[in-house]
Amino acid sequence: MKTTAFTKTYNKRVVLDLPELMLPEGKITAVIGPNGSGKSTFAKILAGIERADDRRAIFSGVTVGYLPQKSFPFRMSTEKNILQNGNDPARAAALMKALGIEALAGQSAKKLSGGETARMALCRILMKRYELLILDEPTAAMDMESTLSAEECIRAYCAETGCGVLLITHSLSQARRLADRVIVFHEGKLIEQGECVQVLSKPKQEKTKRFLEFYGL
Amino acid sequence: MGSSIRKAIELILSADPELLNILSTTAKVCLTSSILALVLGVPIGILLGAERFPGRKVLLVLNRTLIGMPPVVCGLLFYMLFSGVGPFRHLHWLFTVKLMILAQVVLITPIIVGVMETFVADTAPALRETARGLGFGRMKEYRLLMNECLYSIFSAYLLSFARAIAEVGAVAMVGGAIAWKTNVMTTAIMMYTNRGSFTLGIALGLILLTLSLLVNIVLSVMQGRLSR
Repeated sequence: MKTTAFTKTYNKRVVLDLPELMLPEGKITAVIGPNGSGKSTFAKILAGIERADDRRAIFSGVTVGYLPQKSFPFRMSTEKNILQNGNDPARAAALMKALGIEALAGQSAKKLSGGETARMALCRILMKRYELLILDEPTAAMDMESTLSAEECIRAYCAETGCGVLLITHSLSQARRLADRVIVFHEGKLIEQGECVQVLSKPKQEKTKRFLEFYGL
Repeated sequence: MGSSIRKAIELILSADPELLNILSTTAKVCLTSSILALVLGVPIGILLGAERFPGRKVLLVLNRTLIGMPPVVCGLLFYMLFSGVGPFRHLHWLFTVKLMILAQVVLITPIIVGVMETFVADTAPALRETARGLGFGRMKEYRLLMNECLYSIFSAYLLSFARAIAEVGAVAMVGGAIAWKTNVMTTAIMMYTNRGSFTLGIALGLILLTLSLLVNIVLSVMQGRLSR
């Protein structure tokens, strides 16, 4: 899948200025970069939640799924929340079990903790088959055990559906565990991209090196 | 005072015909106006809260102004429109229950719009981002939003009903507080107090307070159930 080049401006300040990008199908691409580098805005524009400056949709005719940083729990049970995105109780049960929330199936989603809500939201988005799945820090509210289960589910979804996954993350160790490719953002610009091992071990750009050093890699 | 309260309770228990007539007129006016206001106010409130369009801010300011409109001003406006010199005089609605209902709808619809707009403006952005991210259509997005709004709709209705039942200025002006015809609880309390007949006034006051208590109890119970 190829994105077109686009810019995004807020209050006369260009916050994103990106060239064309390739998002390979069946692969997980991690987007990393410091706070305010435009990662989430990039995800929202790709998902069609926000528009680029030229108002064009980046993808047309492509089914895109997007999991925001703070997903909204609808006023119903955890299981019904998940079934909103596909009436397949068996799949919902399997996903809830994989993410350790099967005991919360009948509980109101409004009463879940932050980590439980994040797991419910991940189950919900994984119910449907998308051509591109964008996950904006899906495990930020989870503990380590849940994070590893979530990563396993994302990997399995990608392998089963063959869809491209774009993972916005602050965790370089998560990018290393999960991603096939990495894109590095800095101040709204793409500064480096490539195979995960290559970018994280032997970055070409000075800014990438500084960012990786800062995060202890 | 004590004997007046005792007599008032006896009046309630004896199902006094005049008291029953006042109660039935009050129920007719308040239930009809609050339901009409709900039907009008909920969609307008949701629209103002969920959508962004030119003129929205002007409508919000207008609605807030209408929330603060004194009931007597509303009554005066309708009196002028429907009196012998007004443009709607040929309808002969002045001093009828119909016009009392209309005046109350104008008074309480802005309250419902305000409650709904505040709730939806707070809820809609996060819900919409999630719903669109999941690939839901506009209809499903609105259905989910309505589901989130259930408690707000319920509390807005009870709030508007409480305002309607306690309102006196507008209904007195356009209804004329005519005994056995347009006299509601609040106008009857004023009328009988002015006449020095406290018993019926106290009886009606007790009923009003009891209704207010019931509304609050129902609201508290429903808050627990609907917020789940």
